[in-house]
Amino acid sequence: MGEIKTRTKDRILVDEVHESPVDRWLFRLRKILLLALIALVILVVVGRLAWRFLGDRPATYSAIEDHFKYGSIGSEPGGSLRAAVGGVLPPYWIFKALPKICPDLLPGGYASLGLIFEKGHDLPIGVSKRFRLGFEQVGLNCAVCHTGTYRASPQSEPRIVLGMPAHGLDLQGFFNFISACTLDQRFTADNVIGRVQEAGGRLGFFDRLLYRAQLVPRTQAATLVQRNRVGVLLGDQAMQWGAGRVDTFNPYKALQFNWRLQDLPRDELFAASDYPSLWNQRPREGMELHWDGNNDSLDERNLSASLGAGVTPVTIDHPALARVKQWTLTLPPPEYPFTIDADLATRGETLYRAHCVRCHADARFRTAGVVEPGWQVGRVVPLADIGTDAGRWKSYTFLFASNQYSLYPDSTYRFTHFRKTAGYANHPLDGIWVRAPYLHNGSVPTLADLLEPAEARPKAFYRGYDVYDPVKVGFRTDVAEEGGRKYFRYDTTLPGNGNGGHLYGVKLPQADKKAIVEYMKRL
Amino acid sequence: MADDPIFQPLRFRNLTVKNRLFRSSISGRWDNYDGSGTQARINWETKFARGGIGAIITSFVPVHIRGRIMPNYAMIDADDKIPFWREVVRSVHEYDCRFIMQLSHSGRQRDVPGIENFMNKALSSTNKMDGFHGLLCQAMTRDEITQTVQHFADGARRAREAGCDGVELHASHGYLFTQFLSSGINDRTDEYGGPLENRARFLLEVIAAIRREVGRDFHLQVKINAVDNNNALYPWEKKGNTLEESIQVCKWVEEASADGLHVSIGSLFPHPQLPSGGFPVDEANWWYGGMVSGGVRAYLNYALFHYKLLRPIFLALWNRTKKDMPVEAVCAAEAREIKKNVSIPVINTGGYQNGALIRKVISEGYVDGVTMARPLIANNDLPKILAAGRDLPERPCSFCNRCLVNAIANPLGCYDVRRYGGDRDAMIREVMSVFHPRQYV
Repeated sequence: MGEIKTRTKDRILVDEVHESPVDRWLFRLRKILLLALIALVILVVVGRLAWRFLGDRPATYSAIEDHFKYGSIGSEPGGSLRAAVGGVLPPYWIFKALPKICPDLLPGGYASLGLIFEKGHDLPIGVSKRFRLGFEQVGLNCAVCHTGTYRASPQSEPRIVLGMPAHGLDLQGFFNFISACTLDQRFTADNVIGRVQEAGGRLGFFDRLLYRAQLVPRTQAATLVQRNRVGVLLGDQAMQWGAGRVDTFNPYKALQFNWRLQDLPRDELFAASDYPSLWNQRPREGMELHWDGNNDSLDERNLSASLGAGVTPVTIDHPALARVKQWTLTLPPPEYPFTIDADLATRGETLYRAHCVRCHADARFRTAGVVEPGWQVGRVVPLADIGTDAGRWKSYTFLFASNQYSLYPDSTYRFTHFRKTAGYANHPLDGIWVRAPYLHNGSVPTLADLLEPAEARPKAFYRGYDVYDPVKVGFRTDVAEEGGRKYFRYDTTLPGNGNGGHLYGVKLPQADKKAIVEYMKRL
Repeated sequence: MADDPIFQPLRFRNLTVKNRLFRSSISGRWDNYDGSGTQARINWETKFARGGIGAIITSFVPVHIRGRIMPNYAMIDADDKIPFWREVVRSVHEYDCRFIMQLSHSGRQRDVPGIENFMNKALSSTNKMDGFHGLLCQAMTRDEITQTVQHFADGARRAREAGCDGVELHASHGYLFTQFLSSGINDRTDEYGGPLENRARFLLEVIAAIRREVGRDFHLQVKINAVDNNNALYPWEKKGNTLEESIQVCKWVEEASADGLHVSIGSLFPHPQLPSGGFPVDEANWWYGGMVSGGVRAYLNYALFHYKLLRPIFLALWNRTKKDMPVEAVCAAEAREIKKNVSIPVINTGGYQNGALIRKVISEGYVDGVTMARPLIANNDLPKILAAGRDLPERPCSFCNRCLVNAIANPLGCYDVRRYGGDRDAMIREVMSVFHPRQYV
């Protein structure tokens, strides 16, 4: 029962306010309705927030080629809102805005780093989009390192080849740019928001608030964490990977296991190696995979490679990765697109069978995966025998293999096949014509060079240029710059870049070498 | 008592009342729907006569069905109503109490239209709806004015034939006469609108018509607003007539042969300032529902009464001018100003209960008598209590106005349960006492 006071000139009248049973019933009903409404509003708000912040919605593609190029394998940041894990790239809109925020650090845009853009796509091949942690995020997928281009001439349109090593990709430069720009003094909330809106991002009030309070500081914090962990591998003082190479396992040590890289023996840190091709994976099952043959399981190799793209055991998208794997099992290598001297190639086939086939299989592997009994294809050759640069071999250690076994615990994904080997593994040479430059560290630019003794191989050359050299079979290496894009000068005298070893066939007559190279165009 | 100014006779030109206490107009809905009377009304009026009141001014008695404020009020719209009123007069006269019929027409202020009026708009001086409930209306034509004037004259004749001691024209509280008189309402451009003399024309024509019908020797008084305060509820409304304008109207009324003036205030009813006191929003929540289909703003009002969270909005508007007004004798000062300017007796309404205060306003020349309703509902025998020398009854009226709001739907009586010690059954018994004695036993 309430009370009402009426103030008059000479007194204050006080009256009681009564409630009838109907009043009480209605009040109860309304209380319930109000509570229900409040609950509904809370539910809607919480639901909306949950949809936004707990949602995990990758951009999906029905065509497998598009999925390979742009689909997410889970390498975007994920896990918990408070402490996100995984991912090596800033959120989508920031990623898009970065070249505008720091134009002097990347005048040619992402394309100048060898990232490949297709018409109708705002992101380069190998960069996926996924809605996670309340924002559109981007991540790297398999295609970033396994898609390349070639041209017949400087005037030709580049041909994009899926599964081909990304011989033009400057991944180290890519990370250096993101690191430098996100820590640049221009990377302020105001600037980021302005550039994002210029780039077409529609940011509402709530979004802008989140950019200020969360996204911009978190991106910088994430960069600092990454720089703290892998800084030894970046910057001018570190080994220069150049175009088409990556140090596979050293970043892995830091990012997945929090190793202090600066405490490692220095000779473990010169390990940059070429990207391999992805085609014909089914007949590779059971072969000793990776340059040093440290794992003979396709699944484990794939899973491990995805970790390098920024995936973590928490954020990985296993079905998406499995879809890529399924496709690569039978993905054929590209046909050699230029003229082949059939007679010379036929003669070369005989020589190839005599000198190469035991370790590298022949053209039948391309179409039927043929590996004859007795061949040693996909097997480790001891370092002393192969003689190639030891840097990559040294970077993969027994201790590291032991750590890898700790990943994916209590799941069917747990690693069991990694091991420290004695050397480098040989590989089938399907599509070898477009896998230049050669040897694990890409130290030999063409097949013709590879059949020369080490001392006769080029001491320095440019790599990353995609105009093809059908004579020596490989990419042209004499172009330092084209259209403002600079190419990487590869110096074989630097640690990890040695071009020695693999001296098979180097003593053959030049005519035989030429015939072997001509045949290898058919592989 | 012999020297008590309250209990001195009051002599009008054609009527003498034994004391200075009048029961002002008030009624419950206890007559037949068609306006014919019942035993309950006889009982009701007799209660007050028995209690010692000098004169009773009847309830709002419509002179025509279109002027009814709500059904179940006895009317005087036809000769067949005369016998009933004659019986009421007879019963009241048994206690030496005079009986003055209040001849009324609601105009647009037709709270519950009833089935007879539901499909027509109310007649008024204006086409503008009433500001409180949104009651729709249309401006009367000159023919309709002429007819209505005659309805009043006929009503007066019937009252006299029924033995009434006089009639009162209800020209206050926002009913039809006010709708013509008030500058806050009347927006006519013909000879019944504009200047004050035009706005007063309708009232003066009715007085003249009554005199033509009943003669000069029948008591005729006019209940009139001293001020309209038409903007007391909604500040954006026009203020209405001033005291000076009302004084002028009263002079004209006197010249037109009225025998007395009954001074009140407020251009609507209920008005924030009269009846004075509180506004029982709980009762409004319970009983206002019967009015919601009658006006276009009534749903809004109902919502304001119904939802507790909204009640403060209405109360803030309703009470905003009360702090400058007393609860009792709310317009005694204005009545005194009128009295100074006329020579006929002036009686005054507005929360009179306290004997000392009544004595003061009479003895100091504010007014010649007072009219009261709510204090008499609370204590039917208040005159006897005052006569016994007490200034207040044991359980005085609290001015809560629960009686007022209940009148829309329920038998009229005192609904302040605190006056019954919280005993709701006792309260109901008291309210139901109006139905005794029964007509058929």
